Amino acid sequence: MKSMKLLMPNGALVAALCTVTACAHQPQSPVTEQGRAFTARDAAETHAAPDVASGVTADRIARARGEPQNWLTYYGTYDGQRYSTLDQVSAGNVKSLKLAWQFQAGVIGLIASPATFAFEATPIVVDGVMYVSGWDGYVWALDAATGKMFWRYRHAIPLDVPLCCGNVNRGVAVASGKVIYATQNGHVVALDARSGTPVWDQVFVDVRAGESATMAPLVVKNMVLVGSSGGEYGVRGHIDAFDIATGRRVWRRYNVPKPGEQGSETWTGNAWQWAGGTAWITGSYDPELNLVYWGTGNPGPDFDGDARPGANLYTNSIIAFNPDDGALKWYYQTTPHDVWDYDGVNENILFDQGGRKLLAHFDRNGYLFVLDRANGQLVRASKFGNRVTWGDIDPTSGKVTVRLTPSAQGTEICPGPAGAKEWPHASYNQQTGLLYTPVMDLCGTFTTSRQDFREGMPYWGGGAAASKEGNRGYVKAIDPATGREAWSHEFPHPVVASTLSTAGGLVFIGESTGEFDALDAKSGELLWSMQTGSGIHSSPITYSVNGKQYVSVASGWGGWMKGFAPELYGETRGSALMVFALP
Amino acid sequence: MHRSSPSRHPTLLAGLALSMIALASCDYVRLLRPSVLKQLNPRVVRLVDELPAVDQQNEAIVGRLFPHGGLAHAEVGKDGVMRSRIHVPPNQFLWEPSVIVMPHGGDLELEFQNEDHNFHMAFLPSTGARQVVELPMHHGGRARIHLDQPGLYWFGCPVANHAGRGMLGLVMVKGDVPADAKLDRPKQRRPGH
Ligand SMILES: [Cu+2]
Repeated sequence: MKSMKLLMPNGALVAALCTVTACAHQPQSPVTEQGRAFTARDAAETHAAPDVASGVTADRIARARGEPQNWLTYYGTYDGQRYSTLDQVSAGNVKSLKLAWQFQAGVIGLIASPATFAFEATPIVVDGVMYVSGWDGYVWALDAATGKMFWRYRHAIPLDVPLCCGNVNRGVAVASGKVIYATQNGHVVALDARSGTPVWDQVFVDVRAGESATMAPLVVKNMVLVGSSGGEYGVRGHIDAFDIATGRRVWRRYNVPKPGEQGSETWTGNAWQWAGGTAWITGSYDPELNLVYWGTGNPGPDFDGDARPGANLYTNSIIAFNPDDGALKWYYQTTPHDVWDYDGVNENILFDQGGRKLLAHFDRNGYLFVLDRANGQLVRASKFGNRVTWGDIDPTSGKVTVRLTPSAQGTEICPGPAGAKEWPHASYNQQTGLLYTPVMDLCGTFTTSRQDFREGMPYWGGGAAASKEGNRGYVKAIDPATGREAWSHEFPHPVVASTLSTAGGLVFIGESTGEFDALDAKSGELLWSMQTGSGIHSSPITYSVNGKQYVSVASGWGGWMKGFAPELYGETRGSALMVFALP
Repeated sequence: MHRSSPSRHPTLLAGLALSMIALASCDYVRLLRPSVLKQLNPRVVRLVDELPAVDQQNEAIVGRLFPHGGLAHAEVGKDGVMRSRIHVPPNQFLWEPSVIVMPHGGDLELEFQNEDHNFHMAFLPSTGARQVVELPMHHGGRARIHLDQPGLYWFGCPVANHAGRGMLGLVMVKGDVPADAKLDRPKQRRPGH
């Protein structure tokens, strides 16, 4: 018996064991140093950031389009348009765009999800100061004109945090002198915007239940709203509101009802307990209607629909709720009884047309939904995905006809498990009246298998292998008045970066192979391109300092590559924020 | 693996008893209990069998298997601060212990003693900023770190490739999230149950 030999060899065991602490003799040496922050630079060279954030209020964010030098909230404005009126950089001169500065963070030591961490954050810019978050609990405050660091903060993230896809964070919120973000292990942390020191810290998810957090918080009135991640772990998705001044919780709303609550008739048995419906992408807000619009994720288990008969409300839905108490006003379920992991989390773009207050939502299921955002009535559903075989949606009634579902032996279905559009966002250009969306064209083989739920473990009920060949990407310009395509620009791989549209007649987009491109907003023609060195899975923004316009993009490939671009798994990694300007 | 009864091996049994006496004050004696040995599955046995060759520098491999400096529980002080001591023995590229257990989130004060003939540093996880302590040879250092969530955190020596050769360690934070952060649903079964 080999292990016994190890444990009993002539006293060597005793000697070996006695070298360990419990028995060891420890010579004493003088203690010469106390712990200090990791680099000398932390102590000696970082400075307080200028006090620009104390003047940021919800009222000012509501009027953010009037101060285009800043990028005050996740989508730039509450309406989610990702459209800037800055026009110094234009279709005529974008050829001269040059790198102004870059910020690189890299990785030190071991981190959670080391193969899939990615730089996905949207920076916030306030009067010349940029606040940006990263993987593994980082937040940085930088000089937006030079890239010089004012401060950094890091919340320690455990190696075993239950992330679904990657060690990522999509950005911070800024208001009332605070920088607020949700850490991967589910703390909402408010930092003093000048010093980067914590003011309050609240836990809003249970890591032991498989929950995590990745989205950028949304400031509404005196509150900050955050949504949970963990839809692949059989959690119950929720959105929480915290008081910005104190950190006190104001409310929590679950996106899936308990038995007896409205919508519970769309569930059977205990399935509601593992129901999913997470909220891992930031919502948009209409202050006039006093409604917040948020997308909800897939039901659990992802692929085994027999485990949860019914429509499974309010998963894969656009929900409109009152920010004062979280109460649901209306909902529109884009994929009833989802069995393809077509999360409905994607952004909701608010725009007005023909006197109507509308909402546009590019769903992962391959359809663009235009709704009346006052009441949730469907205006039009139109297909924007290239290959969409799972089912059809009637353009006017919205009736869903399912064609293909996962099976025990595997079914080839399009789009693939990450859908026809990843979370990165579309934009709406007020000059052209067009929506610009990134598109993924790939399929997948979807299988089901029966699985018992165990808390903290993935709860897929099957699997989906995305196709590795024939995958393509597009940026498509779509007229929301008709659902028709104005133009389409093809790329060799799925496009998983957000578009940014500007009054300079431009649409900026990042490619999965690292190119950062400017397209003509009218024609889709490629006007400028720069290789950033690593795939782009983030959201470019634009801002200006002292009258000079900058365009920034985070470059750092990662995330759920297996789902959206498996052919690019293992490509070069990066962690650079690159900022461009005219010379 | 063959699970032979200790009673059929009088020599082993005698050795076992002797070791138990020698180690009576030591937590590691628990490893020698037959009840513990019976729980070892073949994969663990293979790991244990491999240890003599990889618990020294430059034997079976160039470095040594980490974290191999044993485990210790941090002691909770009257002030609520948890404390532990970590020792760097000569010629081993090793933290002893290399696994520190915190019973719950909070502040952990670590006191390091470097008895090695090399300059080391302790690079530590902490909320707010990562911390570093320089450990010149035959000197010590102290750091207070804050870890507030259940999970596994990494620490290591950032000098040259000391980490790759064995100077990696883990802090295990036990416990749970606050009650108001938990999901509103009945208690669920966890893996292994
Ligand atoms: Cu060292």
